[in-house]
Amino acid sequence: MESNKKYWKGLEEYNNTPDFVENNKNEFAESLPIEDVLSEAGLSTVTPRRDFLKALGFGLGAVTLAACQKAPVHKSIPYLIRPEEVVPGIPNYYVSTYKGNSVLVKTVVGRPIKIEVNPNAGPFSTGTDAQAQASVLDLYDVSKLKTPLLKKEESNWAEVDAFVKGELNKAQASGKKIRVVSSSLNSPSAKAVIADFAAKYPTTKHVQYDAVSYTGIIKANENSFGKAVLPKYNFDKADLIVSFAADFLGTWISPEEFTAQYISNRNNKSLEKGKMSRHFQFETGMSLTGTNADTRLPIKLSEEGPALITLYNEITGSNLPGGALANNVNADKALKLVAKELLQNKGKALVVAGSNDVSTQTLVNAINAAIGSYGTTIDLDNACQRYEGNDAAFAELIDEMNRGEVAAVFFLNSNPAYDVSNAKAFTTALAKVPLKVSFADRADETADLCDAVAITPSYLESWGDANTYQGFYSIVQPTINPVFNSRQAEQSLLMWSDNAIQDYYKYVRNNWEKNVLPFVGKTWKDVLQSGVVSGTAKTAGSYTFGLSLNAVASSIVTSSKALQKEIEVHIYESIPMRDGKNANNAFLQELPDPVSKVTWDNYIALAPKQAEKLGYKEFDVLTVKGENGYSVELPVLIQPGQAMGTASIALGYGRSKVGKAGDNVGKNAFPFVSFSNGTLKYATTATLAATGAKNELAQTQTHYSFEGRNIIREASLKDFLKDPAAGSGNHHKHKVYDLWTTDKHEKLGNDWVMAIDLNACTGCSACIVACNVENNIPVVGKDEVRRRREMHWLRIDRYYSFNDEKTGEGVTEEKEIAHMSNLDNVSVVHQPMLCQHCDHAPCETVCPVLATVHSSDGLNHMAYNRCVGTRYCANNCPYKVRRFNWFNYWNDSRFDNYLNNEFTQLVLNPDVTTRSRGVMEKCSMCIQRIQAGKLSAKLDKRALKDGDIKTACQQVCPANAIVFGDKNDPNSEVSKALRSERVYYVLEEINVQPGIGYMTKIRNIDSETKEVHA
Amino acid sequence: MRNISLIFRKGLKSVFVFAILSFLMVAGAQAQDLVEGKTLFKGKCASCHALDQNATGPALTPKMNEREEGYLIKWIRNNVELRASGDKTAIEAANYSPTEMTAFPTLTDDQIKNIIAYAKVGEPKKIVDAGTAVVDEGVSTLSLLGVIAIIIVSIIVLVVLGRAIKMLERLILQKQGIEVVEEENVSLAVGIKGLFKNKKFVFFFVICLIAVLGSFGWMGMWNTGVHTGYQPVQPIKFSHELHAGINQIDCQYCHTSAFKSKNSTIPSLNVCMNCHKAVQARKEDGQISPEIMKIYNALGYDADKQTYDKTKEKPVEWVRVHNLPDFAYFNHAQHVVVGEAAIRKQAGIKPTDPVCFACHGPVNTMEEIYQYSPLTMKWCINCHKEADISGKKNDAFYANVIAAHEKIKKGEKITPAALGGLECGKCHY
Repeated sequence: MESNKKYWKGLEEYNNTPDFVENNKNEFAESLPIEDVLSEAGLSTVTPRRDFLKALGFGLGAVTLAACQKAPVHKSIPYLIRPEEVVPGIPNYYVSTYKGNSVLVKTVVGRPIKIEVNPNAGPFSTGTDAQAQASVLDLYDVSKLKTPLLKKEESNWAEVDAFVKGELNKAQASGKKIRVVSSSLNSPSAKAVIADFAAKYPTTKHVQYDAVSYTGIIKANENSFGKAVLPKYNFDKADLIVSFAADFLGTWISPEEFTAQYISNRNNKSLEKGKMSRHFQFETGMSLTGTNADTRLPIKLSEEGPALITLYNEITGSNLPGGALANNVNADKALKLVAKELLQNKGKALVVAGSNDVSTQTLVNAINAAIGSYGTTIDLDNACQRYEGNDAAFAELIDEMNRGEVAAVFFLNSNPAYDVSNAKAFTTALAKVPLKVSFADRADETADLCDAVAITPSYLESWGDANTYQGFYSIVQPTINPVFNSRQAEQSLLMWSDNAIQDYYKYVRNNWEKNVLPFVGKTWKDVLQSGVVSGTAKTAGSYTFGLSLNAVASSIVTSSKALQKEIEVHIYESIPMRDGKNANNAFLQELPDPVSKVTWDNYIALAPKQAEKLGYKEFDVLTVKGENGYSVELPVLIQPGQAMGTASIALGYGRSKVGKAGDNVGKNAFPFVSFSNGTLKYATTATLAATGAKNELAQTQTHYSFEGRNIIREASLKDFLKDPAAGSGNHHKHKVYDLWTTDKHEKLGNDWVMAIDLNACTGCSACIVACNVENNIPVVGKDEVRRRREMHWLRIDRYYSFNDEKTGEGVTEEKEIAHMSNLDNVSVVHQPMLCQHCDHAPCETVCPVLATVHSSDGLNHMAYNRCVGTRYCANNCPYKVRRFNWFNYWNDSRFDNYLNNEFTQLVLNPDVTTRSRGVMEKCSMCIQRIQAGKLSAKLDKRALKDGDIKTACQQVCPANAIVFGDKNDPNSEVSKALRSERVYYVLEEINVQPGIGYMTKIRNIDSETKEVHA
Repeated sequence: MRNISLIFRKGLKSVFVFAILSFLMVAGAQAQDLVEGKTLFKGKCASCHALDQNATGPALTPKMNEREEGYLIKWIRNNVELRASGDKTAIEAANYSPTEMTAFPTLTDDQIKNIIAYAKVGEPKKIVDAGTAVVDEGVSTLSLLGVIAIIIVSIIVLVVLGRAIKMLERLILQKQGIEVVEEENVSLAVGIKGLFKNKKFVFFFVICLIAVLGSFGWMGMWNTGVHTGYQPVQPIKFSHELHAGINQIDCQYCHTSAFKSKNSTIPSLNVCMNCHKAVQARKEDGQISPEIMKIYNALGYDADKQTYDKTKEKPVEWVRVHNLPDFAYFNHAQHVVVGEAAIRKQAGIKPTDPVCFACHGPVNTMEEIYQYSPLTMKWCINCHKEADISGKKNDAFYANVIAAHEKIKKGEKITPAALGGLECGKCHY
C-alpha cells in the first residue's frame, strides 16, 4: 500500500502563499536582470570604434602580460628535522577528549584537521556531535588573543605572573575569600590542581555553575535518594519512553550517547526482530526529540507540572491536588494512555523531564520509582558527572562579591557576564573584587572586565583528562604545540600556587599513575593509545521513593500558576549554538537548526494560530518584554507544533565580544532566565509588541519545492509487522522506460552505494558539519543563505505531516495541503539528502563540457577544473543537491568570517581541492576516503574489506543511520541493508536509478495514539 | 657532453689515483696494501671518522701517527676489551665522545695494518682534483673556441676562394678575348622594391610568414604551462649525479615516504647529516665545502664543536621542480609500489635502475635536477591507456575486480584505463 500521507516542507508550501507559487514557477530564486540589461541605454548606443580598439588592445596586452610568467615559483620547505612519526601525506591520529567524549584527532603534518570517533571507547564510541566536529575550526580562530592581557594591554607571562601572585599574596594577607568559577569541570586532574591551589590559599572555594543547568535533577536526587548526582540513563533498556520537554536527542545531558541508546531499539536491526520502542513527548516548543517522538503533544509550560501530577495520580492511584489539564483535552487523553502503558511496561520504561525545577524532578523521581525504573533504565550508582553546577552557589557568589568579601576571582571556562540571567548584578558585584582573572582564549564579555586574561589554549593544544561517568576516565592529549602564546589554566594555577610540580603534563601523568592506572592494570602508554580506561561498572541498585509529595505538588502548582499569562516563553538550548560558548564558529552558525532550518539568528517561535490571532506574520520583528523587564527585538518564526499561548527563544545568541563570526548574531536570551526556589528556571512570561520592522531569517529548507511528490514514505509499526514493505511502495512498481538500454555502466570492481535508515536518523545534523570539515565546504554567511546559496553538500530535509489526516485519498497535490487542518499536531520526518550518485544521472547528460561523468564504481564524478559553470546540471538535478560557487569564498573580503585568512586556512583537508568561483560542486561520497582505503589495501596486497572505508557522515552518525559500502559484495552491511523490504529510492519513478536507498520511517502508533489527536 | 666529460674525468681520476698510489707503494717504507686499506676504511671507518678532521670520532691521521701500531691494532679490534683491561690511554681516549666505537673482531692484523697505513698517508685526492679540474675546463673552453675559430676561418676561406675563382674566371674570359660586360650596378633598394611589386612573391611571402608565425604560435600554445626541462636555481647546489649516480645512494634513503605516501618529500636535513656530519668535503685550506656549510647553517650546527644551536635554525626553501596543479591528486605510493612492475615494463626501466626514472628521467646523471617529463594530463593518460597491469592477477585486491572482468581471464592486456583509471574523479577531487 502506498502512503497517502501529505507532507510539506514549510509553511509557505502549506499555505500555498502567492510568493511561493510565483517563486516555484521561476527557474532561479532571484529574477535574472535580463530585461534591465536589454533595456539599458548601453545596448542601443553604438560602441565607438576607438573604444572597441582600446578594449581589444588592453585585453590583448593584459592577457599577454599575465601569460608571461614562465612558471610560478613554488617554494617547498621540508622539516629541518622530521619527527619520526610524521610522514607527510599520511595522517596521524591521536586520542583526546572533547567535552567529556573520547575522540580521535586526525592531524596532517602537525595540524589537527578533523575529529573522529574513538573506536576504543567501548560503550562511549557513539559518534560525535556537531560541536565536536566544528571544534577544529576554533583552534584556528583569529579572533582569539595572541598574548596574555594585563589591564587590557598586551603583556607577557612574566608580568602576568608577577601581578597575579602579588595580588594573591595581598588577598591572602587580607584573609578575604578567593573564588575559582568554572562551568562543570569533569577533569579529575584539574580538580586536583584547584584543590592544591586551595591548600596554598585556604580561603579558596571552587564554584561550578552551568549556563544551562541541571541542578534541579541533582537536588531532586539528593532529596529523594540521598544521592546528589545526575543518574546514568539507559534509553536502550526502555521500551517506553515518556519525555516532558527533555530534548535528550538534541541537547539534554549527553545527547549522542542517548541517541545511540535510543536508536538501538528503533533501527533496522531492531525492527527486523519485530521490536521497536515507543516514545511519547510532551513539550512546548518543537524540539529535535519531539520531532522523533511517535506521539507528540504540545503543552504549555504551565501545563508541564500539572501533567506530571496527573500522570503520577494515574499511575499510583493517589490523589495529589493540581493535576487538572482542563484546557488541553488531547494531552489529558494522552496522559491516561501513557499511564496505562507505563504500568504495562514496568521496569522497561523511562520518564524524563527537562525542567530544572527541584519539585518537578522530585515528582519525576516518584513516577520512575513507581514504574520500577531504578536499577534498569535509571542507574544512580554509576553516576554521570558531565554536569555538577550549583545554581545557588553562584547566586551566593554574587552576594559575597557584593558584600566585598571576595579578594580574587578566577574564571575558568565560564563567561558569566554573558550567560547568567542577572548579568548586570554580576558585573556590578564583580567590580568590587580587587583581582579578577579570566582564563578565556579571547577578550570575551567576562574577560573584558578582568584585570588579567591568562589565555588558555584549546583542548587540541592541551593536556588533561575527563571523568564523565564514575569509573570511566578519558585523556586529553595535545595534538599541536600551542599556536599562540597561551598557557593552560591548570598550569597557571600550579605556578601561582607554587606547586611542587610546575608542569601540568607531569601533574596529569602523576595523577593518573597514582589514582587511576593501578586500579585498572594499565600503563600511561596504554592510555595514550586507547584514550580511555573504564573500571568495572557497579550494579545499579533499585531505589524506593519515600518522600511525601504534598509540598512538592503545591510548589509545582504555584510555579505553574505564576506562568499562566497570555504568552509563556520557553527558553531553550538550540542544537547549533547550545549555550553560546562556541558562537564564533562559522560552521555552527551556518548549521541550520534541525527543526526550523534557520541559520545565523535566533527568533521567537510562535504557533501558526497564535500568530494569526495576534496578527503577526512570519519575520515581523517583535519587542519581547519579559516579566523581569528585559526586552529584546526578535523576528517571528511560525513553528507548527508550538503550543498555543507559548513562544520559544533559543539561548546562545547575541554575544557581543566573541569574534568576527559570532558578534551580534541574534539576541541574548539568558536574561529571560529566572532564579527561583534555588534553581534557574528556563521559563518566563512576556508581552509582545510589533515594531513594524521585518527581518528575513536565513532559512535553508524553504528554498525548493518538492511539488508534492512521494519522496517520504512511512508506515506504522503495526502495518510494518504485518508487511515489512508497508508504505515503501515496493508492491506497486512503476513500469520502467529506459532511454539507455544499450549503454549500461559496467561496475567492474566496486559499486559504492549508501543506505539511509529514516527510522534511525534523528536529524541531529552532526553529519552536516562533519561533511563541511572533511570536504572543505565554505561558509557563505547569512545574506548568501537568504539567496539560497548555502554550500552544504549534505542537508537534512525536514518534512511535516498531520497526525489526524484521513487515509485513502491518493497522493498529495500541492494545492490540497492548504485545506488540511490542525497545525498543532504535526509529525516530522528527517531525510538526509545528498548526491544520489544516480546510474542514469540527469546532470551528466546536460553538461556541455563533460565535467560531471559516471565512474565504473558507481559514483558520479565532478571535475571542478573542467566545469565552466553553466549550472545546467543543478537545474536538471531532481534532488537539488548541487551547489554553485558564486564567490571565491576562501579569498574574498566579503566572507570575512571563515577562511579569508592564511591562518584559518590551516583547517583545510589537503586531500580535497578547494573550489574556485564559478564551478559546481556536490557530494563526492568522500572519494578521497575511498581512494585512500583502496590504496591502503593495494599496498598491503589484500582484498578491500567491508568497513575499511567510511564516509565522513557515516562515521560521525551516533545513530548509525547511514551505511556506506560496496553493493557488489553481497555480504557487506550496505548490501544487507538494501535487501530490506523497507528500502525505497527517492523519485525512483523517474528511473534515474539513484545509488542511495532510504528505509521507510516507522512510527509506533496505533488507533489509541491516533485517538489522542482527534 | 656531460657524460663524455664525466667519463673522461672519472677515467683520468682513477689513472691519477692509481699512479700516485703505486708511486707511494713503491716509495713507502711500509709494504702495506694501501688500496685494500682504503677500501676497508671506506667500508668500516668512514661513517664516523675522517682523516684530517674530527667527526663522530677524532681525526685519524694524527692519531695514527701518535700511537704505536700494536696498541692501535688492539684498540681497533676491540676497544671495550682494551678498556676493560685497565689501559689508561684507552680509557682516556674513550672520553672523546659518548658514542662508543664499534668493535671489529673479524679484522685480521694485516687488514688493520692496511687501514693504519692508509690512514697515515691519507687521501691524495686534492692534487688529483686540481689536475682534473684544470684539464677539464681546458677541454671544454678550448673546444668551444676552436669550433668558433674553425667556422670563422672556413667562412673566410670560402669567401676568399669564391673571389679567387671569380677573378680566375674573368681572367680566362679576358684571355679568350671576350669582353666582360660589367654587371649593371642596379641599386639594391630598387631591386627590393621591384620584388615587392611582384604580387606573386608578396602572396607567397605572406603565406610563408603566416605559416611560420602560426606554427610558432600553435606550438607555443600547446606548451603553455608545460615546463619540461624546468631547472630552477636551488638554494643548495645539490647534485643528484654525485649522490644517486656516483655514490649510488638509493632514492628511498632520502625520499623516504615515496613508497608509503602520496608525497615523495624533500628530505629533512637530519637525513643529510647522517653522512654530512662526517663528509665535509674540506678544501685544501681546511674550509668545509660552502654547500655543506649551508646545511650546517640551516641547522645551527657548529662543525668544530659538533653542537647544534636551535636558535639559529632556519628552514631551507627549495624551489619546487615538479609542480602538479592543486586540483590533480597524485600518489607516489600508488605508482612506485602498486604499479611498479607495469611502469617498469611500460617505460623500459632496467632492473638495476629505480622505477622513479620512468617519470623523473635519469636522475643519476643530473648535476642539478630538472623536470624530465611534461607532467601534462595527456602524458598521464597515455600511460594509463597503455601500461599493462595484467601482472596483478594474483593480487588479492584485484581478485574482486578481475572476477568481475571476463577479459582478464582470457589473458588479454589490461590497462589502468580498463579499471577506470581514466575517470575524472580518480585524480580530480
